[in-house]
Amino acid sequence: MSVIAPPKPRSRILLVSALIVTAVVVASFWSVDVTWSRLIDLPADIARYLWLMFSAPTWEKLPEALAQTWRSVAMAWIGTVLGIVVATPLSFLAARGFGPAPVRWALRGLFSVIRAVPEIIIAIIILSVTGLTPLTGALALAINGVGTLGKWGYESIEGVPRGPIEAVRASGGSTSQVLRWGVWPSATPEFLSFWLYRFEINVRSSAVLGLIGVGGIGDMLTSYTQYREWSTVGMLLIVVVVVTMSIDAVSAAIRRRITEGARTR
Amino acid sequence: MTIHSHDSAGVGTTVPAPAPWAIRMRDVTVRYPNGVVALDGITLDIEPGEMVSVVGLSGSGKSSMIRTINGLVPITSGSLTVGGHALESTSGRQLRRLRGEIGMIFQGFNLAGRTSVLNNVLVGRLAHTSLWRTLLGAYTDADKQIAFEALDRVGILAKAWDRASSLSGGQQQRVAIARALSQQPRLVLADEPVASLDPPTAHAVMGDLRRINEELGITVLTNLHLVDLARTYGTRMIGLRAGEVVYDGPAATATDADFERIYGRSIEAEDVLGR
Amino acid sequence: MTADGTSGPLRIPRRPRGRWKPWLALAVVAAITAVTASPQWGVAVAFDAIARNWQNGALKIVQLLQPDWAFWPRTVAPLLETLQMAVIATVVGALLSLPLSLWAAKLTNPHAVGRGILRTVLNAVRSVPDLLYASVLVAMVGVGALPGIIALVLFNVGIIVKLVSEAIESNDAGPLEAGRAAGGSQLQVNRAIALPDVWPSFINQTLYVFELNVRASTVLGLVGAGGLGLLIDAVRTYYRYDQLSLIILEILVIVVVIDLVSSAIRKRLV
Repeated sequence: MSVIAPPKPRSRILLVSALIVTAVVVASFWSVDVTWSRLIDLPADIARYLWLMFSAPTWEKLPEALAQTWRSVAMAWIGTVLGIVVATPLSFLAARGFGPAPVRWALRGLFSVIRAVPEIIIAIIILSVTGLTPLTGALALAINGVGTLGKWGYESIEGVPRGPIEAVRASGGSTSQVLRWGVWPSATPEFLSFWLYRFEINVRSSAVLGLIGVGGIGDMLTSYTQYREWSTVGMLLIVVVVVTMSIDAVSAAIRRRITEGARTR
Repeated sequence: MTIHSHDSAGVGTTVPAPAPWAIRMRDVTVRYPNGVVALDGITLDIEPGEMVSVVGLSGSGKSSMIRTINGLVPITSGSLTVGGHALESTSGRQLRRLRGEIGMIFQGFNLAGRTSVLNNVLVGRLAHTSLWRTLLGAYTDADKQIAFEALDRVGILAKAWDRASSLSGGQQQRVAIARALSQQPRLVLADEPVASLDPPTAHAVMGDLRRINEELGITVLTNLHLVDLARTYGTRMIGLRAGEVVYDGPAATATDADFERIYGRSIEAEDVLGR
Repeated sequence: MTADGTSGPLRIPRRPRGRWKPWLALAVVAAITAVTASPQWGVAVAFDAIARNWQNGALKIVQLLQPDWAFWPRTVAPLLETLQMAVIATVVGALLSLPLSLWAAKLTNPHAVGRGILRTVLNAVRSVPDLLYASVLVAMVGVGALPGIIALVLFNVGIIVKLVSEAIESNDAGPLEAGRAAGGSQLQVNRAIALPDVWPSFINQTLYVFELNVRASTVLGLVGAGGLGLLIDAVRTYYRYDQLSLIILEILVIVVVIDLVSSAIRKRLV
């Protein structure tokens, strides 16, 4: 006699959601304006371009590329610093326990809205005022940064252990003293960590902002791409990858030191 | 495809397992890359169908020894034959096929928590399942039937579709036993199967292992650190200390003095499970 | 009277060394900021230009605050294309990332060399922002949604594989050992044992990446890679900031809605 197995349970929700997702996906593939037949030629095409780009990169233009990279990184740095300077006090106000409720909600809403707008659009908007200069890029990064840094900031403050805060309050400390001695020591490693992380993101974004003409490596890349000078494009891509990976590595190392070696002072 | 047929058996009778395997160890040594010698010249014979308890403190080599038998730990020197297959010269596909005939259960149950009990038991059929079937998750009906019967044998068939992590410790270990059973093994290895379980559950699980040995005739080798369990479940007991065999005799008549020799210290409360 | 009962002046222990480190770090930061802000070397933080252009800008800001609602119908098609690109890129990216994530984690791929190569390649791919890929791809395959999708896929795979492989590594090795002990091959145990445990993390990261894709695909059109970006480029050339404002509002709405829906789903996953 064979054993009779219990019946397999079927989940309605899972089935329905799977159907919806499949429907959306199929609809997207079907309706998008892409000639799928071109995909067959694609690998060969891409292989050819990769060869054009990387077989003999134009190293002669390297000094110019590095100069532009410096501008992009400078843009990213200023953008990060400005963002930090503006966002940090705002994130304190937006944290529960430090700012009044209406102010908190207003600030959080502001952060969400700023975050949702891509930096490049911010740059386009402020272009009319600040012109096609790296400053525009830095400001765009800073403004967008306020949104992200603000959110990470208040989340971090709210996640701080309550003990030290109560201790400072109990001994009669004012709000600023609570911030300095109750919140700041615990929150510092996290703050430093996401400040550096934001810098990493900004380095990438600064390359992108160059595309609309504010200067930097993105600018150079767009020009040479439009002229179809593939060997220079290849060199520029290599420069972008190497610089970004190096900055990421240094930043990650510093962040590791901070979170592991966090000592009270 | 060789699947053992089940239709010829009568109601309530069990299909006898394939012929159980013997284990022959000759001067087996295991030295780890960091220099630690886990096993030092072990010579042992385990006959088909025996139920053996292996006792010893942690560090005595129990874990290493049980893992040499299915090749999870390679031996450094000596010869180890399982069911007539020499482990030193088995690798790759042959080793997988060998492992397919050896069931193993662990202290931590080692189930894939987020999937169903049935899928966990079907892991036991992996050695007999083609890669494509595994990738698609399409096990044969015969394999599923074997899995259901294994679950029934340990008494938790009703939980077949439940998520593995939702079961209690004892139930999870039963699933692990079912997983081993679904391999239709010739040998079952159990590495501290009840160390994480409370006394009644531990006795129940050990009872299951004993039943498997008595009803199906499968050779069973169990690592235990609890003295009373070792005496009760198993016909033969082997004591290891610092990688060497220091006791090899009947389990029921092992005295406290024997244990003290194996452990190198007197017996303490933590060594006895109790009821 | 000191703690151990003896009298006399207190023996204050020496202050730990290394207190100069944070000040040094601050000095370095200040120096870098000064250099990057100077006109010759860096960004030229010159607010006088802003003061001059202020009036010009003020007009534009006013325009921005009055969105041109009548423009709505012309935004529908690009909006749909943006969403289509995001969906397709997420699906393709997820399909590619699943096997790659298993390949990149130590638990599911014991071969260190293969893992190392994959990780390095993915790190390099992740260093280039999506718009740059899109820009180059447009020059390669032409204008339209296709370069946008490919750019997004390149962007996605790096992220998903990194996050999911980290999740795999934090899992227990025991169940996989049990699978090998039962005679399964590495691929079999990966599929039968590692995958079910990885599933929630994978879906989580895929939804996260979908959010990122939607935001990214709104601007890919600026380089010709399809979606709302093309429209943005058009309206900004004509300085129609009121139309731009409508587009921005639409982007905000989509992003916030998808953010909410995605968070709700992700919360129910664990």
